[in-house]
Amino acid sequence: MVLQNGREEKSIRDSGLVAALRDPYWRTFLRFVAVTMMYAMVPLLVVGWAINTYYCDFSRASMMNEVRDEVNRHYRGIQVFFQELNSKLQLIAHTHSREYLCDTTNLGQIFELMNRQELTITDLGVIDHNGRHLAYVGPYDLVDKDYSQSHWFREVMEQGLYISDMFLGFRMEPHFIIALTASSNGERWVLRATVNTQAFRSLVENVLIGRTGEVYLVNREGVFQTSPRFSHTIMETAPFDIPPRHEGIKTLIYEGESRDGRKSPRQLMSLAWLDAPPWLLVVKQDLAEALDVVSHANLAVLMFLLLSAVTVLAVSAMMGRHLIKTMQQQDRETAELRCQLSRADTLASLGELSAGLAHEMNHPLAISLTIQERLRSSLPDGPDLVPEIRAQLVGSLSQIEVQLQCCQRITTNLLRFSRRTRPVLEKVYLNRFIMEVIELVEREAWASGVAFFADLEEGLPTIVSDPSQLQQVFLDLFSNAVNAHDGKGYGSVTIQTRSDDEARARGHAIMVRISDTGQGIVKEQPPQNFDPLDATRPNGRKTGLGLSISAIAIKQLGGSLSITSCPGEGTDFAIYFPLSPPPELLDQMARDALSRDKLTC
Amino acid sequence: MRRSRVLLVDDEEIFARNMSKLLMKRGYEVTVVNGGAAAIRALTSQDFDVMVLDLKMPGTDGMGTLRQVKKLGIPVETLILTGHGSIETAIEAVRLGAYDYLTKPCQIEQLVAKIGLAHAGEDYH
Repeated sequence: MVLQNGREEKSIRDSGLVAALRDPYWRTFLRFVAVTMMYAMVPLLVVGWAINTYYCDFSRASMMNEVRDEVNRHYRGIQVFFQELNSKLQLIAHTHSREYLCDTTNLGQIFELMNRQELTITDLGVIDHNGRHLAYVGPYDLVDKDYSQSHWFREVMEQGLYISDMFLGFRMEPHFIIALTASSNGERWVLRATVNTQAFRSLVENVLIGRTGEVYLVNREGVFQTSPRFSHTIMETAPFDIPPRHEGIKTLIYEGESRDGRKSPRQLMSLAWLDAPPWLLVVKQDLAEALDVVSHANLAVLMFLLLSAVTVLAVSAMMGRHLIKTMQQQDRETAELRCQLSRADTLASLGELSAGLAHEMNHPLAISLTIQERLRSSLPDGPDLVPEIRAQLVGSLSQIEVQLQCCQRITTNLLRFSRRTRPVLEKVYLNRFIMEVIELVEREAWASGVAFFADLEEGLPTIVSDPSQLQQVFLDLFSNAVNAHDGKGYGSVTIQTRSDDEARARGHAIMVRISDTGQGIVKEQPPQNFDPLDATRPNGRKTGLGLSISAIAIKQLGGSLSITSCPGEGTDFAIYFPLSPPPELLDQMARDALSRDKLTC
Repeated sequence: MRRSRVLLVDDEEIFARNMSKLLMKRGYEVTVVNGGAAAIRALTSQDFDVMVLDLKMPGTDGMGTLRQVKKLGIPVETLILTGHGSIETAIEAVRLGAYDYLTKPCQIEQLVAKIGLAHAGEDYH
């Protein structure tokens, strides 16, 4: 059950992850973070690598120099030890005669003088040219011992100076000798000393270099002349090949056995050959310890890079989050704008469709109306047609005519609607504009016995408005004024434009007054609540939809309409226009334009 | 009194045929043509008192025909009768010299009244 629950939880987590990866914002966020990380980290890695490489090289070179200096110091110390000893023995041999030194008392005094400050030699002896030990001061009784067959004796007699390798001898402890020749009365003799190995070995073996460093001497055959710090002891054979003699100090990386016999870590090894005896000074240290500074530098660089990566990740995540929020906000706004524009476009399309539909409908309507007229006029008179059937036919034709006229009104209203879908603002010269519309309705008015009079103020300021809507307003109101004369044989319509105090008092700049001498309008409500839709002519006919549409259009254009009417005497329409359209209309148009611009971009 | 001669210019054949019958029944002498070019040919070959002109037609449209009539100086009063009417086209037509402007569909009596006025040649001013 627990396992099943665990699986379900994992499944839910997985589905959540899949859903998140399908989210375009989440994917954009991840892409942004990844790209930012890449762009930020690649240069950082390159710079880090370059700095690290330079620093490692520099540190390695410095470390090599330090090791070389260290080896050089030890090398000189050992060389000085041998030179001092040699010098002392040379001085004794060349400032004292063999006979003097063969006196054990004298030899003992010199032995004590040599060891006064430090125990340097453990014995001192004089040997004649035949290898016979003439005199000896030391812990053993070696007088009269014959060295003529000894290797060291032959070497010193041949070369004048001899320093032996470490050997056990009959003392059974590692020691070495130094012997040199001198002449007295034409006869060569040898002064020989056994060196205190403790003093000598402490000179080398007490040197400690770090945790893993060691210093030792080894002869040409590979036998340790001092005990290494960690493995092997003096007189044992070294586990590596002895390189041939070379000048100066040689430093190399050595991979050999460890102290416990296993493969040792890489070691830094410096080698220097002594002049005499021909021993090899070896200074070793684990490479890891020697390069400890470099390792620390590497670790520091790694930590720095890790910290940088975490910082970049955090910053890019924060930036990405902000970016995604901004994108979401912009997308929401764009969607809203698109929706608004879509609504506006739909309205415009609907307007265009309405206009097209109305225009196309007009043709069949016109044909139907003419056919209906023809049918009506073709009905035979007299007894050819049964009166009842004739009455039915006349009734049907009248009904067809009524319905066709209804369709005609529908197409007219559709055309009006199509003009109001998208306002366009232009400079309008009202006087000229009004004259154009008067020209249009004047003939029909004249045919009805109605005369038009224009009283237009000269120099009337231009206004910024929608000419299409204004045309419709004036056409409706002028036609309305002409139609108001139904039942009257004659009359007049006077159009007046003014930019006087009356208009300004109402908060507008221009006034257009349309006064007719028609039947007037019966107001069913108080003047302040006048609703054109409810306005009725005295003969009972409604003023029509045109007046209400005009009132709405005037309001939309920032104007106002005031009506004064006296039944039977006429009506006075006063329209007040501002010089510029209202802020609401400008805002609406600006939003529409902005939406279009943004979407176009 | 001489019968008024009316030239009916419309590419809608059914409408033109029915309208011409109605007008003829009311005493008019009606000639029907179906386009602007045919109208110009008819006007240059015989006299008409009134031309009832549609605006939207293939070939030379109504406005083009009216311009040509005025350019040629043909003495005929023109009534625009169109299904594609707008205030702008009405104003333009009146400026070009059309006598009046009617939109389809219209009452036959309305058209007859306009033709009568146009034929009378009375200046309403």
